[in-house]
Amino acid sequence: MRYRAWIGISLVAGVLLVLPPLTGFHPYYLYLVSTALLFGTVATSWNLLAYAGQISFGHAAFFGLGGYGAALASLAGLSPWLAIALGGGIGAVGAAGIGLASARLRGAYLALATLAYAEIWRGIAHNWTAVSGGGAGLIGIPPLPTLAWLPLDFTRGRAGSYYLSVAFLLVAIAVFAGVLHSRLGLAFAAVREEEERAGLLGVHPLPWKILAFALSGFFSALAGGLYVHMVRVVEPDLIFSRYFSILPLVMATFGGLHTLLGPAMAALGLYLVSELLLHPYVPAFHQLPYALALIVVVLYLPGGLATLLPSPRPSPQRGEGTQHGAT
Amino acid sequence: MTRALLEVEGVEAGYDDVRVLHACSLEVRAGEFVALVGPNGAGKSTLLKTITGLLPVSAGAIRLDGERIDGLPPYAIAARGVALIPEGRRLFAPLTVRENLELGAFLPRAHGQEEETLRLIFRLFPVLQEKALAPAGVLSGGEQQMLALARGLMARPRLLCLDDPFLGLARLVTNRFCQAIREITAEGMTILAAGQHVRRLLRLAHRAYLLEEGHVVLSGPGTGLLQDERLRRSLIELIPGGVDQPTG
Repeated sequence: MRYRAWIGISLVAGVLLVLPPLTGFHPYYLYLVSTALLFGTVATSWNLLAYAGQISFGHAAFFGLGGYGAALASLAGLSPWLAIALGGGIGAVGAAGIGLASARLRGAYLALATLAYAEIWRGIAHNWTAVSGGGAGLIGIPPLPTLAWLPLDFTRGRAGSYYLSVAFLLVAIAVFAGVLHSRLGLAFAAVREEEERAGLLGVHPLPWKILAFALSGFFSALAGGLYVHMVRVVEPDLIFSRYFSILPLVMATFGGLHTLLGPAMAALGLYLVSELLLHPYVPAFHQLPYALALIVVVLYLPGGLATLLPSPRPSPQRGEGTQHGAT
Repeated sequence: MTRALLEVEGVEAGYDDVRVLHACSLEVRAGEFVALVGPNGAGKSTLLKTITGLLPVSAGAIRLDGERIDGLPPYAIAARGVALIPEGRRLFAPLTVRENLELGAFLPRAHGQEEETLRLIFRLFPVLQEKALAPAGVLSGGEQQMLALARGLMARPRLLCLDDPFLGLARLVTNRFCQAIREITAEGMTILAAGQHVRRLLRLAHRAYLLEEGHVVLSGPGTGLLQDERLRRSLIELIPGGVDQPTG
């Protein structure tokens, strides 16, 4: 019964995701929905890292590395498709790097280290003018090319980037679902709950942590790479801004920490409410939903929106019942 | 005489600047149940943590099957087949009973034997099968201790280290536990158990060591040690209720 409901919901969601470009959406709205989907991808990848117990305040670093990597590759003449993939790889490497460097940090210290990491990259992008274009950034990034075998206008309509952003989100969710149902998920959960205990069971925490960082960084960087091909400029203060670090965190916790779909749902909801409903009428307050969402989660909904829905599996609640070592 | 599975030779260890173990030596042969008893602060838990790599060794050697394991990180020692059931259980509370057990079998050495080990575990502790899908955090204290022991067994260890396995358990649950441990030992598991329930441990044990202030001061067969004057002096006078009353 419940499975039927989920299949039904998935079908409706699938149709809703496929339709917009075909129904003559205004390119601007298509761009907004694409951006919301990219935020969904980053929030999902943030959540994957959080599943392994690593709370990041610096996903802008991965998003921005993917953006700059893809932009530079595209400007150097590489096909934008390959450039975005390459950006993903660069983001994965950059994320593994901070994972390794902060291997001994947790909680607030890890949060500060990741926050600083994004700021470091912003500083580098500002100052390494020869490569990054400095504060002015890079312009003239080519759009995604048309595909001759697809009867869609990929150049001016934004259908191509829209469908690609749908694909990125779905793949990120599928990978996270795979993680949840595999030994990888068990290892991540063990590292999250208690590293020492995980070690005693033979789970060496470091490689799993770095793998979580790399996976999370990869998807965030893919989103960053596609984003710069949509807006076609990249500048340090835009792409390495705390906006891209904090929003995924707010979206993921509002949607439901460690849940499969919560972060993506929250990203779509919050971003679209902010941009479609508030921005045109009360521009000064258009970021209000994020603040309200955070307040609601902290005060009333510690498990996020996902706790309001029937879910196939109860979301993990922290720290109930077991005694911890009295040493 | 069979060669020792675990040899601890003149080990010194402790926490930062505080030496807890001084030239501590003991051995555990394959298939044995060895008890480690002693008053509070004697270094029982410290010794188990040192063997499993949670604490560094500053002098001496620890060998598993003749191979040095001192200085290795915990995950590497676990991979060689040493499992520790720590004091206070330390389960993964939000994960289900089943997931906790699966994590126990994470090591490659345990692969392919999960089903067989699970059958043994569910025979010993049927309640774990009934509650397989419940989060470990909602189990009762006794059930959590069963799960902790079961998770250790899932790794198919060559040496199972138990730290205060009866801590905080009701008498009836403790009886169940002793029965389970007897069955596991009968299946050939090698166990090194430390704890404060002296009489119970010594009755289960093939051999036992009495630890005092970081030294092994006495060793011998479990039931023999129970009669020893030195043990009585060391423990009984300290514990008003007699040797089988826990103090912790």
